Amino acid sequence: MSTGKSKKKLLNAYHVVFLAQSVMIGTGILSLPQQLSSLGYSQALMPLIFGVIASVTLYPMIWINSKFPNDNLFRINEILLGKWLGKCINLFFVIQFLVFIAGIISNYMHLIQSTALQEQTITGPVFCFLLLLIYIVSGGIKSIARFCIMTFFLTIGFLYFTHWAFEKGDMSHFLPLFNFFSVNDFYEALKRGYLSVLGYELVMFYFPYIVDQKKAFRHSLIGIWISILLCFITTAISVMYYSEWQLEYVEFSVLNLFKAGEFSFIERIDIFGITLWVFLILSTVAAYLWCAKKGVETLVSKKSNVYLYILVAIIFFVVKMPSSREFQDKLFTSANYVGYMLILWPVLLMMVYVLRKKKQVQV
Amino acid sequence: MEEREQQVIDQIKDKVQEIDDVVIKEMVTDVGDATIIYFSSLIEKMTLQSMVFIPLANHVNQIFQVSEALELDDVDLILQKLDAGQTLLFFHKTAQLRVIDTYSAPTRSITNTETESTVIGPQDAFTESLETNISLVKRRIQNPMLKNETRTVGTETNIKISILYIDNIVNKENLDTLRERINQIQFPFFTDISELKQLIEDNPLSPFPQHYMSVRPDSVSQYLIDGRIVIFMDNSQAAIVCPTSFFEMFVSVEDYYNRWTTASLLRMLRFFGFFLTIMITPMYISALTFHPEVLPYELLLNLQESRSKVPFPPLIEVLFIELIIEVLREAGSRMPAKVGQTIGIVGGIVIGTAAVEAGLLSNILIVLVATSALLSFLPPIFLLSNTSRFIRYIFILSAGLFGLYGLMLAFAWLFAHLLRLNSLGTPYMSPVVPRNASDLFDSIIRFPTKYLKTKKGISRAQKK
Repeated sequence: MSTGKSKKKLLNAYHVVFLAQSVMIGTGILSLPQQLSSLGYSQALMPLIFGVIASVTLYPMIWINSKFPNDNLFRINEILLGKWLGKCINLFFVIQFLVFIAGIISNYMHLIQSTALQEQTITGPVFCFLLLLIYIVSGGIKSIARFCIMTFFLTIGFLYFTHWAFEKGDMSHFLPLFNFFSVNDFYEALKRGYLSVLGYELVMFYFPYIVDQKKAFRHSLIGIWISILLCFITTAISVMYYSEWQLEYVEFSVLNLFKAGEFSFIERIDIFGITLWVFLILSTVAAYLWCAKKGVETLVSKKSNVYLYILVAIIFFVVKMPSSREFQDKLFTSANYVGYMLILWPVLLMMVYVLRKKKQVQV
Repeated sequence: MEEREQQVIDQIKDKVQEIDDVVIKEMVTDVGDATIIYFSSLIEKMTLQSMVFIPLANHVNQIFQVSEALELDDVDLILQKLDAGQTLLFFHKTAQLRVIDTYSAPTRSITNTETESTVIGPQDAFTESLETNISLVKRRIQNPMLKNETRTVGTETNIKISILYIDNIVNKENLDTLRERINQIQFPFFTDISELKQLIEDNPLSPFPQHYMSVRPDSVSQYLIDGRIVIFMDNSQAAIVCPTSFFEMFVSVEDYYNRWTTASLLRMLRFFGFFLTIMITPMYISALTFHPEVLPYELLLNLQESRSKVPFPPLIEVLFIELIIEVLREAGSRMPAKVGQTIGIVGGIVIGTAAVEAGLLSNILIVLVATSALLSFLPPIFLLSNTSRFIRYIFILSAGLFGLYGLMLAFAWLFAHLLRLNSLGTPYMSPVVPRNASDLFDSIIRFPTKYLKTKKGISRAQKK
């Protein structure tokens, strides 16, 4: 029996920190060393550069949101760009989110299939995953945030399993620090690797629910840098443990890091790792799905849980669509690149906002 | 005698016609004739003598001092008083109706608790009498701020409940929410307070108990001091404490009587035991069905050897033995104590050795199942132990479907569910998601007693 009152402001400082943190860590980090492999051993410091970029791009997001403290990005689009243009852009974002989510799930499920469930198709696992996803998302952003906190503390233990790789690795791989030749390599690494730190941009959608909006920037920043630190540890240990050739060709090198150690009672810790990873995937995908649902609600100006079911059905279809793996890969990769657009989007909105303000002043 | 009074008496007589324990007496007193009506089964003869008949015969004024006047208009109310064990006195000369509370139902004396027994600490437990229970708490908290609100629930039975709280500590918002929920209840009857608990919980569909229940006065008083609200019900032994967190289901009041080191060890055992008991057998299934590669070669050999004669797949094997354990447990708790021992021996021997020798089960599984059955009894709250029994089947089935991935999915469901639960509007999972940093002093590790002064975050107590 529930007779509690519903409040608009839901997210406290911990929630904001861990929402930013957990949403960033998804499948990306598993293949991060490979994505950055164009830089060879010099990739170790790359996550720190990502961190700087993320911090810089976070600022316009918070800025534009603080001008509209009670509206999410979908509403802001409609306000600043006009109803029709705004709605078109919002629809585009929702579609991008859906494809992005489908990409993450499909990626993860194929990983599960190749390591843990070799004799099954992915239909059943995907279906159960989506059911659980509906359950988490229907609890609202606060339930997602709590789930993020839990996820962090449950999965942080995996750092311990990398210590064998650290012991067996070679420190000298770090030097020289910036040992790459062309800007192209750097650009390539940035393009493919930055994907692993995506996720903090969702702050633009849950910003209206934050209690202490003035400190939202600081709290998100803490979350971002926790994730960046984890990415840095990953790449650093990978650089120490692997050869350059391995970095380039071992697809999920992080899982192999876990295999470096041995227990007398258990082998293949990577299977535990990859199955427990479902927490990280769930927290990431749940936040994106919640945003997509908010987007649909803004589009049709009506609140209902039915949209959630429709969205999940679409995701299921996209993951299971009868097309070649190549086409799917292409689709998901392009959705990732569109994701970069979302990071730069608030800069455009900032300009529109300033221009409009000026116009108003002149009138 | 007024006509109206006679009418009322006739009405009452009409209503109590088939109630054989009703007593209607006419008496002559100093202030004229009087009619006395009461239920003899609810009142002891001694009480009646000393409170009604002796004063009536000797000092009628005394009656007027201890009794309460009642209007004649509301016959239903008069009948309700009669049902509650009060004695009605009609004085014909003055046309007055007086009632005296003579209710003296038989109660049992205070005894030890059998369901929540401890080695150290006070041994008294609540009884089924509301008055006794409240007095047991008031004896421990001698503070005028301790309030008890009495109301009735049950639309057909009018059972008395009492809400206890300490006025200057309790969170008023919680109290209002609780009052509102109790007011909204439309339920014909209650035989135990656990029924009331299921009606006022935040999520009645959840397998988890969201309010603490205890029969120990010391434990209940401790929660009261922390700013929680306690509900008693007449005719039921346990008290509800709300709000409570998931973690507090693993706290026994004995933890505070033990040394902090021992207490911390035991708490860790209970807490991780809960997760182990639901994970052990599913792990077995997923390792044998889907991922034999996670086991080292020697262990796998060992396992396969013990399973070599077993004709079932691991899922069926596990379900089979888990169900047998359930049957044993259920049979054991329903049997009379003397027969129960036989069941234990038969069960132990039949399942322990014969089933393995017959090649129905592997010995390693027996060890695992026995361990998980023992672990499931660790939580001090029996309701949580029952929850773990149910949840385990979800885990077993999902492990049977998708192996470790299914297990982790079920695990994620468990956490998502726990994180969504509220107890009276406050998160059930605190202090895992802490509200106050000081909550961590009294969580899995119980800090030395001097650190335990602060109120818990979950009770949202008033700041002094």
